[in-house]
Amino acid sequence: MFERFTEKARTVVIGAQKQARERGADTIRSEHLLAALFDVPDNLAVTVLAALGVDRDVVESEIGKLRPDGRPTPDAEALATLGIDLDEVRRQVEEAFGPGALDRTRAASSRGWGAHIRFDRTAKKVLELALREALLLKHNYIGTEHILLGMLQPANGAAHDILVSHGVRQDATRILVEEFVRGRRAG
Amino acid sequence: MTDATKVAAAASSRDPAVGLAAVASLRGLLESLEELQVTNARAQGWSWQQIADVLRVSRQAVHKKYRRFGF
Repeated sequence: MFERFTEKARTVVIGAQKQARERGADTIRSEHLLAALFDVPDNLAVTVLAALGVDRDVVESEIGKLRPDGRPTPDAEALATLGIDLDEVRRQVEEAFGPGALDRTRAASSRGWGAHIRFDRTAKKVLELALREALLLKHNYIGTEHILLGMLQPANGAAHDILVSHGVRQDATRILVEEFVRGRRAG
Repeated sequence: MTDATKVAAAASSRDPAVGLAAVASLRGLLESLEELQVTNARAQGWSWQQIADVLRVSRQAVHKKYRRFGF
């Protein structure tokens, strides 16, 4: 199914893992996908959300209100006692060697660092529904806009609740997406 | 931020559980960084001897540790 994802949509999916990890979450959930949308420059989902009055600050503040997740990893905590900021080390390494470089090493995986975080039910559902939305709109690709629409199906986790509480509704959003896509194709 | 400061303060309690855990985590980080750098050096055509010299270990040591990586 991923072969039909646009590059930006793939970046969102990968970004959700980073979002989950940075928040100390043990699974990737729908709200991590939502937050990850804002890490991808110039994408249609964020454009649509902006038109509906939802920006990164709104989303961050809502995610902050969810049950607190997490503690930093034990390693991050232990290294902090030595004044070493593991997140900063990771950032520097990734700058030189690419995303996930530090966690992809064999040494890291033998310690369970790069331990693969799973997508939970809500995040999986969002991605499944993204595909369905693309089919519904007769688009032959799955873009960030379809991921956004996938979040708007009822009972789709925190992302759904956050968006709906800010007045983002699925039918209205779908119409907006269609308009933007048409506009983009027209010019 | 404040969390880290709190933890840092805990370290000065000389609690072995805290201090030893920090050493273990540091070793883990070291292993990852070494692996990345050795991999990168090999990819750039460095010889085992050159790598060993900069790491300040014997050529045998670095070769033995990383030859199973297949480079």
